[in-house]
Amino acid sequence: MIEALTSLAAFDRAAGITRTESAAPLARTSFPVMPAASTAAAGPDFGDVMAQLASGLRTSLRTGEATAISGIQGKATTQQVVEAVMDAEQSLQTAIAVRDKVVAAYLELSRMPI
Amino acid sequence: MIDPLAASTRLASAGMEAQSLRLRIAAENVANAQSVGDAPGADPYSRKTVSFRAAMDRAAGGTSVRLQKIGTDDAPFRIERDPGNPAADADGNVKLPNVNVLMEMADIREANRSFEANVQVIKQARAMVASVIDLLRS
Repeated sequence: MIEALTSLAAFDRAAGITRTESAAPLARTSFPVMPAASTAAAGPDFGDVMAQLASGLRTSLRTGEATAISGIQGKATTQQVVEAVMDAEQSLQTAIAVRDKVVAAYLELSRMPI
Repeated sequence: MIDPLAASTRLASAGMEAQSLRLRIAAENVANAQSVGDAPGADPYSRKTVSFRAAMDRAAGGTSVRLQKIGTDDAPFRIERDPGNPAADADGNVKLPNVNVLMEMADIREANRSFEANVQVIKQARAMVASVIDLLRS
């Protein structure tokens, strides 16, 4: 779980934000996570999935904006503008839903009695 | 593999483009319903027809719609007697386009209906995607 939360830094990675080391919320080394759990999982890493999601969101938001601008300039059809904006909106909704879920999970962890 | 819901949006979008094109052709026909030829006795505007074909869309992994051909209708031209018209031939007859505005109107209406059907497909696909995302929320 903590592994999953730290890998959220993938959002920053995908967004190109340089994060100072001190700001790292949970360093992997500070928690003795079960060694088998993190490496045994086959398939895509959770962090990679998040990075993919974030970069997908970024691309579709940019495309939406660019298409809207070219629509104003008369270079794109109304249909193209609407489609690009809808696509961006959908990606944003997905990202918001995932973020809410992750924040909820984090809060859940922070409420855990130790 | 592409998400089937995204694919249906894409296919419906191709359908909307096709119907837009069909509307454009009908608009050309209606606009030129009275256009005579540019020389005495010359042929006037002839009605344009549009046809579509099914085409594989690899990105969507399904069969999409493409333009097949923009052709011309070879129905005979209407002939009216109007000696004062610059396009009138020696006998004073003018050839008028073989456009039937009533038929074009029906075609426009049909294009509109098909367009709406495709819009409905997109709406449904979006509603389905939204309900899947909502699973995360509750």
